Amino acid sequence: MASILGDLPSFDPHNFSQHRPSDPSNPSKMVPTTYRPTHNRTLPPPDQVITTEVKNILIRSFYQRAEEKLRPKRPATDHLAAEHVNKHFRAASSSSSTQGL
Amino acid sequence: MSSWNYVVTAHKPTSVTHSCVGNFTSPQELNLIVAKCTRIEIHLLTPQGLQPMLDVPIYGRIATLELFRPHGEAQDFLFIATERYKFCVLQWDPESSELITRAMGDVSDRIGRPTDNGQIGIIDPDCRLIGLHLYDGLFKVIPFDNKGQLKEAFNIRLEELQVLDIKFLFGCAKPTIAVLYQDNKDARHVKTYEVSLKDKDFVEGPWSQNSLDNGADLLIPVPPPLCGVLIIGEETIVYCSASAFKAIPIRPSITKAYGRVDVDGSRYLLGDHAGMIHLLVITHEKEKVTGLKIELLGETSIASTISYLDNAVVFVGSSYGDSQLVKLNLHPDAKGSYVEVLERYINLGPIVDFCVVDLERQGQGQVVTCSGAFKDGSLRVVRNGIGINEQASVELQGIKGMWSLKSSIDEAFDTFLVVSFISETRILAMNLEDELEETEIEGFLSQVQTLFCHDAVYNQLVQVTSNSVRLVSSTTRELRDEWHAPAGFTVNVATANASQVLLATGGGHLVYLEIGDGKLTEVQHALLEYEVSCLDINPIGDNPNYSQLAAVGMWTDISVRIFSLPELTLITKEQLGGEIIPRSVLLCAFEGISYLLCALGDGHLLNFQMDTTTGQLKDRKKVSLGTQPITLRTFSSKSATHVFAASDRPTVIYSSNKKLLYSNVNLKEVSHMCPFNSAAFPDSLAIAREGELTIGTIDDIQKLHIRTIPLGEHARRICHQEQTRTFGICSLGNQSNSEESEMHFVRLLDDQTFEFMSTYPLDSFEYGCSILSCSFTEDKNVYYCVGTAYVLPEENEPTKGRILVFIVEDGRLQLIAEKETKGAVYSLNAFNGKLLAAINQKIQLYKWMLRDDGTRELQSECGHHGHILALYVQTRGDFIVVGDLMKSISLLLYKHEEGAIEERARDYNANWMSAVEILDDDIYLGAENNFNLLTVKKNSEGATDEERGRLEVVGEYHLGEFVNRFRHGSLVMRLPDSEIGQIPTVIFGTVNGVIGVIASLPQEQYTFLEKLQSSLRKVIKGVGGLSHEQWRSFNNEKRTAEARNFLDGDLIESFLDLSRNKMEDISKSMNVQVEELCKRVEELTRLH
Repeated sequence: MASILGDLPSFDPHNFSQHRPSDPSNPSKMVPTTYRPTHNRTLPPPDQVITTEVKNILIRSFYQRAEEKLRPKRPATDHLAAEHVNKHFRAASSSSSTQGL
Repeated sequence: MSSWNYVVTAHKPTSVTHSCVGNFTSPQELNLIVAKCTRIEIHLLTPQGLQPMLDVPIYGRIATLELFRPHGEAQDFLFIATERYKFCVLQWDPESSELITRAMGDVSDRIGRPTDNGQIGIIDPDCRLIGLHLYDGLFKVIPFDNKGQLKEAFNIRLEELQVLDIKFLFGCAKPTIAVLYQDNKDARHVKTYEVSLKDKDFVEGPWSQNSLDNGADLLIPVPPPLCGVLIIGEETIVYCSASAFKAIPIRPSITKAYGRVDVDGSRYLLGDHAGMIHLLVITHEKEKVTGLKIELLGETSIASTISYLDNAVVFVGSSYGDSQLVKLNLHPDAKGSYVEVLERYINLGPIVDFCVVDLERQGQGQVVTCSGAFKDGSLRVVRNGIGINEQASVELQGIKGMWSLKSSIDEAFDTFLVVSFISETRILAMNLEDELEETEIEGFLSQVQTLFCHDAVYNQLVQVTSNSVRLVSSTTRELRDEWHAPAGFTVNVATANASQVLLATGGGHLVYLEIGDGKLTEVQHALLEYEVSCLDINPIGDNPNYSQLAAVGMWTDISVRIFSLPELTLITKEQLGGEIIPRSVLLCAFEGISYLLCALGDGHLLNFQMDTTTGQLKDRKKVSLGTQPITLRTFSSKSATHVFAASDRPTVIYSSNKKLLYSNVNLKEVSHMCPFNSAAFPDSLAIAREGELTIGTIDDIQKLHIRTIPLGEHARRICHQEQTRTFGICSLGNQSNSEESEMHFVRLLDDQTFEFMSTYPLDSFEYGCSILSCSFTEDKNVYYCVGTAYVLPEENEPTKGRILVFIVEDGRLQLIAEKETKGAVYSLNAFNGKLLAAINQKIQLYKWMLRDDGTRELQSECGHHGHILALYVQTRGDFIVVGDLMKSISLLLYKHEEGAIEERARDYNANWMSAVEILDDDIYLGAENNFNLLTVKKNSEGATDEERGRLEVVGEYHLGEFVNRFRHGSLVMRLPDSEIGQIPTVIFGTVNGVIGVIASLPQEQYTFLEKLQSSLRKVIKGVGGLSHEQWRSFNNEKRTAEARNFLDGDLIESFLDLSRNKMEDISKSMNVQVEELCKRVEELTRLH
């Protein structure tokens, strides 16, 4: 019977090929260098300093709905179905939270 | 006053919390990245095994660590989120070997309730967004744009409040998460949501699964082609997708970690709470899941993370025991295990308790920790400095110098040990019984002091005395040639190697000789303007027998000069400054860098990097090693060269990662040292000290030595009893016959062998909470006192406990007295010859009373109510400092006359304490559960009662570690006459295995270092753009405040790692010489 541990992945067959198991009672003592960056690229490009949108979730949804109302009506596409699901889901969520109270 | 404190790590965190594997440092290289709370380690997979590349300090506690590959990138990026709501994306730049920050940000919200089950950070497998669950009811999204850049984050309301796990699903057209949660009836379910980036909202996902295993706690997303998710419970494992549902029962276990084995996701390694590793297999046909299989593979440390590396090798990271590198074998061994441990990486965490003892009675503290948890519990003996293991010793007074010689230059071992005295020279050798015996080398002069000896080419030996240089055959031991000092001159100092001799006579004459076969030739002579104080021609070039450079130290102008050989031309002259003459110079090379070391008469050491071709010196640094003159010698240990600096504070100088390090040798005073590698005592050193000659081997050259004593059970409290040379511990273990029943013990251990000598089992449900070694008034015995609690499942807080008093008799614990208490005895202290106990909300004082029948008992004297839970107590004189569960620190006073304990003052903040210690009469130190340190001050001069009743917070600092214990003491040998020896220190131990030191500095030094710290903040940048200032700021749920009266020693000591240019930048900004800065910082490193 083939072992359940057969065909274990090998990304580079050389890896660990020359590894000599050390005495397990004698722990590994290799100490890496401690990294002390002094270069200027520890700060990201200015547009990659990320913050969270300050707009409150509720306010955001009001605006979104307002925008949706303002938007000219489009011909029915499969988008509509998605939006429908979306609305349905919101209704469900709000009702369940009232129940929770 | 101990208000100015310096916090430094003596042992870095070792508890592994996260790990991941990917191509981080190059597209071709496979890396293992390991998180140890506040640090990450980058390793490279190589044919030889795991090669550590870099240890990266992170200014935050790592909450999430993930590798991911943005579109169009050849290498993985690293995403790190910290517990204080910062995140960064790091990229490795292979050209500069630097970590570059691609993005960073703050993901905190102003309002929101932090999640109870920890923070979750996940990355969509198709790299469309990063998802974070940090606050209950909110899911934060950081979207990627199509160029892989991050965009502004937004929150989505998440209906599920008790979230246990969230994972992204593979193979979904829109990013989709699976949420494992518990409802308000404690039932567990999984729900899926699509994340609509356009609407910034969730859309109901493709499937959900209700009513799962009550212990379901972990989701494993399955990659294509199978997709779906595995839900790991305590009794079942379920595979779920939109189209399939498969479940298997498992033996009850709590899965703590998983690692995916195959890229297609058909096999997983699961690690459970007991350290068992299972293989979970998804069986499938034509990309359809047909079932699940699980198989026990074997046992490892209790895993907190599992990463499959390559070729059947797996990294098992642990927070409860040592991390391991294991191999999965195709077939089980004799015990049925498929798992073979290849490598072990020390982890001290969690350090639950520790004590500081001087086991060797050398005046040097050692820390003995209660480390690890459950089956991986152990004691660890942590010792600073390098020990000498004595093999032999003889009494010999007045040693002036020592050299070892071989009987032939090709011999592997040394035969002779030449010991020089003021008016004679003795030669020792090993006899057939492996004893040191006095012998003779006929050609040597024995009625005079020897200035130098060396093995020489052509099987010769060379001896330098004040009048001559003698060349002797090592085989016939007869004189072959002799060089005489000119009439009227005596040789003052001399040195030699295998083929050269350099000596100086009075009047500043420098003479250079070369050694031939039976011939000494005076090759060159130079007249210097001053007397020579020391010299060296240790070969550091390509020829191990010949040096092209000579180093010469001078009287009068206090300089060190480099001459070229054989010409004896001056090529460099370096003024040392000051008035102290150089006493020993040494040319040496470490890790391919050549150095000139120059030791002064006052215990200072200067080191320079040296260009061996030009003889130019640069990067001058100064350290203070001791207070007496130093003699430098090289020696080899484990095929590396080190330098031994003999002085009142012997030190080994070695190099690690191309930086010179100084490690204390655990001996009080050494006047001379020479390597003595004899057949009977291989790899040994001969050491002259305090009228004694000792032959001994030397420990591995490293700063901290850790010895592990595995217990197989969880030690929770420890204390040492000097008089009986024992340790007492409170521990808990599982009884082998029934897996569930936990048993608690008081155990007695020998303090040398660490063997269990005696065990006292506690009652069922009874926990050992505190242990103390003490004695009482009017009783000369010493006792172990143990405080316990009955922890009953139906009680919120224990209402019953005991104080047990044991005496050690014939190596056994004998119960002498026992006293029932009305709660858990969280702490015990010896107090005025009585016993002070903290019992639930009360502090209680007991007298030790003699009954009429001659037996003894504990009798309650007085107490003090008014705590929530008095968990940690320290005393000093009549003062009692209490650390409360949630009411910070309070100060009580015992009044003898009234026999009462009264509250004097308290800190009115609501800190949840985890440890307290008294620094001095007025300043008390505390650690609390938001990983902060604080100091409070007694205000006895306050004008009003109100002011006097308030402990003023004087210091605040974010340590980022959970401290379980403070203890006064030091890891290093303290010399009373050194400045550093005057600095009081407290040691702390943490959950992540950190051992740290808090040193109370004089104000002047504090102010100086504070300036250095702020200069360093500008030069050493935080990885990922994280700010050091923010990181160290005190922070709890209510407020954040800048750190004060604590300095970060880890940052300050990293000054020594900087390049010379950067050091000079700091030197300019502070207006202090680099040399002075190095010296002051180097001194601090000797605190730990």
